[in-house]
Amino acid sequence: MIPKAMVLGLMATASVGLLPNGAMAAKLDDVLARGKLVVGTGSTNPPWHFKDASDTLQGFDVDMAKIIAKALFGDAKKVEFVNQSSDARIPNITTGKVDITCQFMTVTGERAQQVNFTIPYYREGVGLMLKEGGQYADYAALKAAGSSATIAVLQNVYAKELVHKALPKASVDQYESQDLLYQALQSGRADAAATDQSSIAWYVTQNPGQYKDAGYGWSPQTYACAVAKGDQDWLNFVNTALHEAMTGVEFDTYAASFKKWFGKDLPPPAIGFPVEFK
Amino acid sequence: MTPPLSFFEIVWLARWPLLYGLGTTVAISALAILGGTVLGTGLGLALTYGNRAMRGIARVYTDVIRGTPVLVLVLASFYILGTVGLDLSAFQAGVLALTLFCASHVGEITRGALQTLHKGQTEAAKAIGLTFGQTFRYVLGPQALRLALPPLINTAAEMVKASTLLSVIGVAELLLRTQEVISRAFHSLEFYLLAGLLYFLVNFAIERLGRYVERRVSLA
Repeated sequence: MIPKAMVLGLMATASVGLLPNGAMAAKLDDVLARGKLVVGTGSTNPPWHFKDASDTLQGFDVDMAKIIAKALFGDAKKVEFVNQSSDARIPNITTGKVDITCQFMTVTGERAQQVNFTIPYYREGVGLMLKEGGQYADYAALKAAGSSATIAVLQNVYAKELVHKALPKASVDQYESQDLLYQALQSGRADAAATDQSSIAWYVTQNPGQYKDAGYGWSPQTYACAVAKGDQDWLNFVNTALHEAMTGVEFDTYAASFKKWFGKDLPPPAIGFPVEFK
Repeated sequence: MTPPLSFFEIVWLARWPLLYGLGTTVAISALAILGGTVLGTGLGLALTYGNRAMRGIARVYTDVIRGTPVLVLVLASFYILGTVGLDLSAFQAGVLALTLFCASHVGEITRGALQTLHKGQTEAAKAIGLTFGQTFRYVLGPQALRLALPPLINTAAEMVKASTLLSVIGVAELLLRTQEVISRAFHSLEFYLLAGLLYFLVNFAIERLGRYVERRVSLA
């Protein structure tokens, strides 16, 4: 993955050097004149961006894009999605292939030097998924079990360390892919699966009554959309659209999407004094 | 609760995305192989019979393109060309990159085949008054084709496999379609094996087609 990312980085840098100055200015006018929003996202990661059995792109990222399109045109359908791999997120922004990218993008200082992040629309973290009616009822029980609890996690250099941050004594089994993780839990080879909380929420929603979240989250990361640098008006516009989806006129749309993909009801923002300044 | 679907039922549900992916893979490969063969034959002629300047240009092209990873070519045609005014779609950029890569291989295959033929044949053709075009068409071409076919089929099969790299720039070919299905339906190992089988079938068809052409042009 690293060489591919490096090559992409070089390409993006090289091509940005060739761009005429000011080519990115007044994006808002360009988008309005074009009559549709071009959004970069992926197609292989539920519940963020994936295709259902009828081959329709959907997910929480897709819904965020539709909220922005509605703010632009009063019509959530005026979006064109550009299918891109995770590695292509930053190059497709810097070369102007997309107006905005919403693709479960973790905000980091390094990335913020290359693109402008919008305000966050979700906070991801790692959680623990348990089998409903299994040996351990919740996080406290797993922790009390010490090394006799086996945790399945995706293979990674830091995987063991990550699990031990939450369960210092647990035994850790590493697996190649997400479905093997779930299989280990299902067959009882593992007592819990440690993975992104959004993946847990989605899987629990998809298999009602079979699994549950152990109720503990750690290792936070912020998800935000990203736009090209150098156009503050465009960034302000997108921020306003997302902000009002989480606190204002489009709250119901945001909350319905949240419920659909993560299975949780959001309390509506308090009326009266603005929630932002509490 | 409904019982879980068997793998075959899941495949049946996903048949259209997978078939579209297969169609895209075949289309990319066919275009790249066709374009690459035409361009590459010209390149091979330039390498073999061109004057100093033509040979020089063809040599630089072949060495640079053949020596560059296909992934870099794919990314370059998608990202770099866009900034100099040639804004290609991901599909077009990917086909262009594979075509250029294919041509560099076909060029060398063509040169190799032509240079194997004895110089006396060209001289004899000249002696009975054939023009260069006629010499190539009736004397050298058919013999060179016979020699070049096995490595050409090799290159064609390589192109089919290289088409998977287009998933990086978002072309929904068979590999990306397979990954999309896996993300929804899981069974990653089974689906990757299925995709592998489909790639094998495409290459097997190319191999059969190559054998057929070989038989048609053979002297025996």
